[in-house]
Amino acid sequence: MSDMNKAMVEKYRNSFLSEVEANVEEGEWVKMCMQCGVCAGSCPLGDAWEHTPQKIFMMIRAGKRDEVLASDSMWMCTSCYNCIVRCPRELPITHIMHGLAHYAKRLGIVPQGQPTAKFAQLFWDNLIKKGRVNELKLGLSLYFMNGFGEGIKTSLKMKDIGLGMVKTKRMNPMEMLGGHAVKDLSGFQKVIKKAQELEEARLAKHGA
Amino acid sequence: MTEVVATNETILVVGGGISGMTAALEAAETGKKVVLVEKRPYLGGRVSQLYKYFPKLCHPTCGLEINQRRAKMNPNLTIVTMAEVTNIEGEAGAYTATVKLSPRYVNDNCTGCGDCARAVEAEFDDEYNYGMSKRKGAYLPHVMAHPMQYVIDPRIVGSDDGQKAKAACKYDAVDLDMQEREIKFPAGAVIWATGWQPYDAAKIQPYGYDRFDNVITNVEFERMADPKGPTGGKIVRKDGKEAKNVAFIQCAGSRDRNHLYHCSRICCMASLKQTHYVVDAYEDAKVTIYYIDIRAIDRFEDFYQTVKAMDNVTFVKSKVANVITDKEGNPICRGVDTEGYHRYENTHDLVVLATGMEPSVAKGDFPVDIVINREGFIEPDAANGGVFAAGSASDALDVNRAVQHATGAALKAIQVVNRVARAEA
Amino acid sequence: MADDKKFAGFICTGCGIGERLDAGQLETTAKRDGKMATCQQHEMLCSKEGVQLIRDAIDKDGATHVMIAACSRRAKVEAFSFTDVAMSRANLREGVIWARPENDDNQETTQEMADDYIRMACAEVKYMNKPKMSGEQALNKNILVVGGGVTGMTAALETAAAGFPVHLVEKTGALGGWAAKWHKRIPGRAAADGVGNGTNVDLPMPMDNDVEQMVAAVEASELITVHLNSTVTKTSGAPGRFSVDITTESGSTATENIGAIVQASGWKEFDASAIPSLGSSNADVVSNVELEALAKAAGDGPIKRPSDGKEVKSVVFVQNAGQASTAEGHLPYHSGIGDLIAIKQAIYFKAQNGKDCDTTILFDNLRTPGAAGEDFYRSGQQQMVIFSKGQVGEVTSGGNGATVSFKDLILDEEVKLEADLVVLDLGMVPNSGPDPYAANESQEGMTDEEKGDAKAAAEIAVPIDSILNLDYRQGSDLPQLKWGFTDSHFICFPYETRRTGIYAAGPVRRPMDIKQAQDDATGAAMKAIQAAVNAGQGSAAHPRVGDLSYPSFRKEGCTQCKRCTVECPFGAINEDEKRYPMFNESRCRRCGTCMGACPVRVISFENYSIDSVGQQIKAVDIPDEFSEKPRILVMACENDAYPALDQAAMSGQEISPWARIIPVRCLGSVSLSWVTDAMNSGYDGIIMMGCQRGDDYQCHFVRGSTMAAERMAKVGDTLSTLNLEPERVIVHEVAITDIERAPRLIKDMEEVVERVGMSPFKF
Repeated sequence: MSDMNKAMVEKYRNSFLSEVEANVEEGEWVKMCMQCGVCAGSCPLGDAWEHTPQKIFMMIRAGKRDEVLASDSMWMCTSCYNCIVRCPRELPITHIMHGLAHYAKRLGIVPQGQPTAKFAQLFWDNLIKKGRVNELKLGLSLYFMNGFGEGIKTSLKMKDIGLGMVKTKRMNPMEMLGGHAVKDLSGFQKVIKKAQELEEARLAKHGA
Repeated sequence: MTEVVATNETILVVGGGISGMTAALEAAETGKKVVLVEKRPYLGGRVSQLYKYFPKLCHPTCGLEINQRRAKMNPNLTIVTMAEVTNIEGEAGAYTATVKLSPRYVNDNCTGCGDCARAVEAEFDDEYNYGMSKRKGAYLPHVMAHPMQYVIDPRIVGSDDGQKAKAACKYDAVDLDMQEREIKFPAGAVIWATGWQPYDAAKIQPYGYDRFDNVITNVEFERMADPKGPTGGKIVRKDGKEAKNVAFIQCAGSRDRNHLYHCSRICCMASLKQTHYVVDAYEDAKVTIYYIDIRAIDRFEDFYQTVKAMDNVTFVKSKVANVITDKEGNPICRGVDTEGYHRYENTHDLVVLATGMEPSVAKGDFPVDIVINREGFIEPDAANGGVFAAGSASDALDVNRAVQHATGAALKAIQVVNRVARAEA
Repeated sequence: MADDKKFAGFICTGCGIGERLDAGQLETTAKRDGKMATCQQHEMLCSKEGVQLIRDAIDKDGATHVMIAACSRRAKVEAFSFTDVAMSRANLREGVIWARPENDDNQETTQEMADDYIRMACAEVKYMNKPKMSGEQALNKNILVVGGGVTGMTAALETAAAGFPVHLVEKTGALGGWAAKWHKRIPGRAAADGVGNGTNVDLPMPMDNDVEQMVAAVEASELITVHLNSTVTKTSGAPGRFSVDITTESGSTATENIGAIVQASGWKEFDASAIPSLGSSNADVVSNVELEALAKAAGDGPIKRPSDGKEVKSVVFVQNAGQASTAEGHLPYHSGIGDLIAIKQAIYFKAQNGKDCDTTILFDNLRTPGAAGEDFYRSGQQQMVIFSKGQVGEVTSGGNGATVSFKDLILDEEVKLEADLVVLDLGMVPNSGPDPYAANESQEGMTDEEKGDAKAAAEIAVPIDSILNLDYRQGSDLPQLKWGFTDSHFICFPYETRRTGIYAAGPVRRPMDIKQAQDDATGAAMKAIQAAVNAGQGSAAHPRVGDLSYPSFRKEGCTQCKRCTVECPFGAINEDEKRYPMFNESRCRRCGTCMGACPVRVISFENYSIDSVGQQIKAVDIPDEFSEKPRILVMACENDAYPALDQAAMSGQEISPWARIIPVRCLGSVSLSWVTDAMNSGYDGIIMMGCQRGDDYQCHFVRGSTMAAERMAKVGDTLSTLNLEPERVIVHEVAITDIERAPRLIKDMEEVVERVGMSPFKF
C-alpha cells in the first residue's frame, strides 16, 4: 500500500483517537467534544493559536496525527481554565492540551524552537538536580536559552529587578554555587525513577 | 369560587397551558368529568404569551380563543385558577388531591368592567410581559384572559388602594377578606401538564443578561413583537433605538452541562421565527444566528430553508464565547466561527438569548411519586400508576407535539376512569 | 310551530351601559322594532339574580327565544348558558360603549349603534331555533384502524384499553410493519435522574425491539379483531355509522359497522435511485433500512457487507441523503430522525464488529432534539463514534468498498474517505392515498403557477392505491397539505383532518420514530373514540363540539347545482340517488360553507341560517342619503376578527360609529345574497373579515376563507349591474392579533365611502 493510501485509510479512523485516549492525560474526553467552539472563543490567548482546542479535537478525530502532535497550539496554553469552565461537555481542555504537549514531547515531535517546550525542559533539568527549582539558575538559563549575546542583553535588562530581589532577601546570590537541595534528595530521585519506570511500562503496553 | 364536585371517575388535570387545556378538553368532550387546576389566574400558559407560532406564523391566541370557547361551553369541565396541587394520595382509580387555593380577592360577581383597575394607583411589574411593563394592582392579566375576571394583587390588599378597588366595584366583586384555603377531592386519574419555564438567563454569566439592557431572552422578544406587548409590537431597545441588527444566540442554557443537559428542541425554530419578526419590521434589518446545530426537523425544514435563503440573515456555527458592550451599549458577540476557524467580534443592536425550556416543577417538588429523568422531565413508567404526563412536563416539546402528547394523555386517563366505571357498574 | 314561539328580551344596564345609553329607549326598540313580547332591564344581568330573571322567564313564562343585550357573546358565556332555548346576544358593552368615546358629541351615534344591535339581536333570535338531535344517532363503539405497524397496533391497543372494540386491517400477512424489521430501537428516554457527566456514564443505549410483544398483545386482546392480508375496499357513511368493506387478498369481503377510523398507513423509504451520485448502485452502499436487515441477520455477531460477506471494519454514514434539499426529485423535508438512526446503527458496529470498527457520521446539523435526543448523541460519542460536519459530494466505488468525497466543514478541507460500507440516511415518504384535491376543480384558490405545478405533479405521478376507498363525493382519501402528508391544522389541532371521524396517525402525518408514533397513535385513538361518542349524541366534532344543529335544505328549492357538495371543506356532503345533496350530519363540522355556497339559499341550520343573518342586516336602521351617517356592514369571523374587534374596544380603541358588526361562523358561510341584499338596502360599504388563506391557512374550517374570497371576487359584476363602485365591498384577512388594524380597516372604508359618496340605494 502506498503511503498516500495509507494516509487516506487512517483518516477519520479511531486509531489516533484511541492512541490519544490511551496515552494522553484526560484524552478519553476528546470524543465527547461537540464542536461548539466556546473554548476557542473563551481563550484569552486565542489569537495566538494556529489551531483552537476544538479544532485540535476535530483533527484528532480526523486522524491527523502528525499535524496535531507537531502543532504548537497546545504549547500556548497558560492554564487559565476559562475553557474548562465554559465547555458545555465539561471537557478538561487545559489538561488535555498539556497532555498532548507532553505526549508530543515524549515522542520527540515538538515543533522546532518552541519556547514553551524549551522552557519546560530547562525547568525539568533544573528541578531534577536538587529536587527543587533553583530560581536564580533557572532565570539565567532562561535568559541564555537563545544564545550568549541575547543572554547578556536580557540579564542587563533585568539587573535592577535582580538586585532588588537580593536586597529584599527574595533571592540568594549564593545559590549560584550549586544551590541547596531537598532534604532527601536520593529519595526524591527514587520517586522520579519509579514514576519513569511505570510510564515506560505503560508505553510498552499501549505503544506510543 | 366554582365548587369542585368530583368522584373516582373524575380526571384531574394539573396545569392549564396548551397541553393541560387540550387534555382537559379532549376528555371533557368525550363526556368525562374533568377538573382543571391552574396556578395562574388565567388559562393558556406560556403560549398565551407568544406572538406567533412557527412554522405557520399564525397566532397562538387564535387557537386559545377556540380552546377557551370550548372550555366555556363545556359543562363537564370545572376550571379552578390560582390553585396548586399540594398533594396527591392513593392509587390509580382512587386518588385524593389536595389543592391550595390562593385568594384572588375578586369573586364571581366580577363582570370584567375594569372599574377597580381605574381606581387603583399602585403599579407592579407585569408578569404577562415578563416585567417589561407595569400593570395596576388590580388587573386583568391580559385582554383575552379566561376567566375574564380581575385579580387584586396581594400587595395592595391591606392598603388604601385595596379599599379604593373595593369601593370602585359596583358589583361587590372585590372581597379583601378572602383567605388562602385548601380543598380535597377525589380523582380516578391525573394528567400532569405543568409545562416549562424559561431557563434563568442570568445564570449564563458570560452573556451578561443581568448586566446589559440590550441582551434579552427569546420569551421577552416574543412580547416585544406582539402589538399588545410592552413596546406595542415595535422591535426597539430600552433606550428607544430601533433594533435592526439583531443577534440570536442559540443553546443559551441548553445542551450544556453547566446549565441544562438537554436540547430544548424549540429554540432553533423560535429564533428562525423571530428572525421573521426582525426582517418584517425593518427593510434594512440584519440578523445573525449563532448556533451549534440548527435543529429544524421534518416538516419544519422548509421554514429553515426560507430563512437561510434571506440575504440579510447570516448563520454562524459557533457557541458565542461572551458578550461585551461598547460605549453606546451595543452588545458585541465574541467567539470563533468553527467552520474553518474565524474569530469574530460582531457589534449588534440587540442580542436575543435563545433560552431553553426547563420543567416548571423542580425535581423533588412533585406532590406525587413520579419517575423523572436527569432533566426533571417525567418519564412514562408503570410506576406512575394513574398519573400521566402531558406536553412539556415530559420533554422539551413544541406546541404541535405537546398537543399530540396531551391528546394521548387524555386517553390514558380515560382508560383508567373507564376501568373504574366498569368496576362500579 | 311558529305559534309556540315566545320572545323575551333582557337588557343589562351594568358596566356603564345604563349610564352611557338610554336603556328605556333600548327597551322600546326591543319591543317595538324587535317585537319582543317582553323586555326587562337588570342592573347586573350576569348576577345570580339577573340569571334567575331569565331562568324564570323560560321556566315560568314559557319564553322560547331569548335576546340578551349586555356584554359581548364572548363574555359571561357560563352565566348566560340557556341550552333549552334559542338565544341571541346584543353586544352593547364591548361592541358599543367601550368602542365609542364618552362625550355628548357622540351620544347620538352611540345610541343609534346600540339600538341597531338590539334590533339585530332580536331579528337573529326570531329566525333561530333550539337545535335538536335528528334522532338518527346511536353509539357505535367500533373503531377501525388501518395499518398494522407500530402506529396501528398502538392505536388498537390503546383503544381497546379504553373498552372500545377494534378492527385492525393490515395489508400484509403479518403485523409489525417496518419496526418488526428493526434490529434495535432508538431509546425513547433520557438519562436517569442522578446520572452525571463523563466519558463512560450510564446513558441510554439502543433498546431491544419489542414489536413481537406488541404483536402478541394485539393478538391476545379480546377486543381487537385482526384482518391480515386485507385492505379497505369501501368506506361509506359517516362517523357513528361508517360501513366499511374489508376485503382479503383472496377476494372475500366482510362489511363492518364502524364508529370512527384511525389511518396509520405509515411510510415508505425514499427511492435512492433518485440520488445516483451517492453510489446507490454499489452493493456496499446501503440504506439505513437495509442496514437494519444486515444487523439483524448478524444477530449479535459482526455485521458483514453485502458484496463479499466481509466483516465490516469501517463504515461511513451519509446523512440527509436526498433530504432537506431543493434539488429535483429530492425530499424538501427531513425525516428528522435520521441522525438518531445513524447513532443507533453506529453503535451496532461498535457492539458487534468490535470497538475498533471505524464509524463516522457525516452530518450537516446534527438533529438529536429533546432530552432523549441529546443524551443519545452523548451515548454515541461515548462509544467513540466519530461525528463530522461534512458536506458529501459523492460516493464512488473502488478501493476497498466505497469512497466518500466530502468537505469537512470544520477543518475546511476536501476529504476522500474509504469505507467497507456506506450507509445512506434516506427519508421517509408518507404512505398516503391519492390526494382528492391534487388536480381537480378545487384549485380555485391557487395561482396559475401553483396550478401548473399541481398539473405537472399529477402527470408524473404513478397511480397510487387508495387506502380508505371513501365513497365520498370529494375523493377516496384524506386530503393532503404538502409533500403527501395529510392535512391538519398542525399546531393547535394537529388531529383535525378534513374528513370528520377519520384521524391520521404516525409517519403518514409527518416523519417520526417509534416513540413519537406511539404517542401519536394514542392521541389519534383518543380522537376516534371521541368522534364515535359525539356522533352517537348528534353533537358536532371539533371545533363546535356540543353543537347539535346540522344543515338541512328545502328540497323543493334545490337546483342540484352541486356547489355545496363541491365546496364543503370536509367532503361531508354526498349526492343521493336523485342527485340531491346528502348532508351526513356527523361528517359536518357546522361551518356553514354549504350555506354560503348555495345560490338559491335553501340550506340552513336551526341556529344559523340565511335568515338569522340576513334579517339582522335588514334590521339595521339605514338613515337617508343626506344624513351623513353611512352604514358599514362588517361580517367578521367569530373566532378571529370578532375577538380582535372586541379586544380593540377593551383596549380603548375606537370603532367607527357607522359599523354594524355581525359575527359569522366562518367567512365561508357568507352568502352572496347577504351582500347584494345589504347593497340593495342602502349600506354604503361592506367589509368581510376572515382568516388567512393558502398553505399556511389559519381558517379553522380550512377552506372557508378561501371560498369566501373566491365568491366575492365575482361580486364586482353584481355591483356594476347596480351601478355601485366595486370598492364598496372588500374582503380582508384579519388575525386575532389585529387589534389595531381591524378598527382601522373599518375606518378605511369610511374614507372610501366619503370618496365615492353615500349609497344611492337608501329608502
